[in-house]
Amino acid sequence: MLFFETTPLAAALDAEWVFPTAECFHIVGFGIAIGTIALVDLSLLGAGLQRKAAARLLKATEPWTLIALAVVLLAGMVLFLTDPREYFLNLPFRFKIVCLLLAIIFNYTIHRRVVLSERAPAAVSGLVGAVSLMLWSAVVVGGLFIAFFPKGF
Amino acid sequence: MSLTSFARWLAGREWAQDFAASSYFYPIVLGTHLVCIAVFGGMILMTNLRLLGWSLRSESISDVVARLRIWKRIGFTVMISCGLLLAGSEADKYYNNPFFWIKMTLLALIGVHGLVFRRSVYRNTAELDRAPSPPRQARLAASLSLILWIGVVCFGRLIGYYETPLLLLNAAAGSSLTPR
Repeated sequence: MLFFETTPLAAALDAEWVFPTAECFHIVGFGIAIGTIALVDLSLLGAGLQRKAAARLLKATEPWTLIALAVVLLAGMVLFLTDPREYFLNLPFRFKIVCLLLAIIFNYTIHRRVVLSERAPAAVSGLVGAVSLMLWSAVVVGGLFIAFFPKGF
Repeated sequence: MSLTSFARWLAGREWAQDFAASSYFYPIVLGTHLVCIAVFGGMILMTNLRLLGWSLRSESISDVVARLRIWKRIGFTVMISCGLLLAGSEADKYYNNPFFWIKMTLLALIGVHGLVFRRSVYRNTAELDRAPSPPRQARLAASLSLILWIGVVCFGRLIGYYETPLLLLNAAAGSSLTPR
């Protein structure tokens, strides 16, 4: 990380407009990525949307989720690289990254399988939908708390 | 009462001061605001993509608009409530913030957008479904909606970057001190 700080890229990221711009992409991106996943979750839960619509919803939203996720991750890396040491030491940041990895793995394994299976029991579907919503919410809230924690925690 | 004195009065309320002073309330309410943006964002995107004819083509426009309506209303209500708490607790600062007013203008335009396209698009979905491809009105409504909402989110974030000039802060506090 110390090495990175001596590179020209680190200097370029120091420009005043970089951070706010990356944040805008980050927020709009997660709005779309998590929002499209939440739609599928709500139908898994049978809340307002039908359970049998989940598979069709997943297929319709999947490409948009993926594009938005790529934007979020890229913008997130820019944000991280503006001050890697500070972020790395930040407790909410670590919590967020763990939740993010779990959320992504969960999303493309268990979540996907249950959504596409027609025979998953309602209790399993509901649980998977709820876990997905909670994991992604934890990522958002963890990310927010990065800014609210004193330095060095 | 002028808007300035209203903002000052609002920020002076006990709940607003408690809220602004607490180190927990602000991030928690802001967190809820953000989670709602995420849930709400997906709904807005998918409705608009359906109106554009870019996604969810297997569902009818009527179905998409009708089924998401309740969730959009819930999300919108929670989001606005959190937003009112956030802005209300520091109304005197927000009052001087140009990004806040740009965001409010965009939100007002979203209201106008809803009214303008209500008859031709949002309450006319059965008619739209009968057309072989989404009519121009529907595509226009969807594009404008996407642009306006992205604008709201971006300017919402930028609010945090504006620093009130010291002169204005002193004026708001009724102080005769001028910045050095």
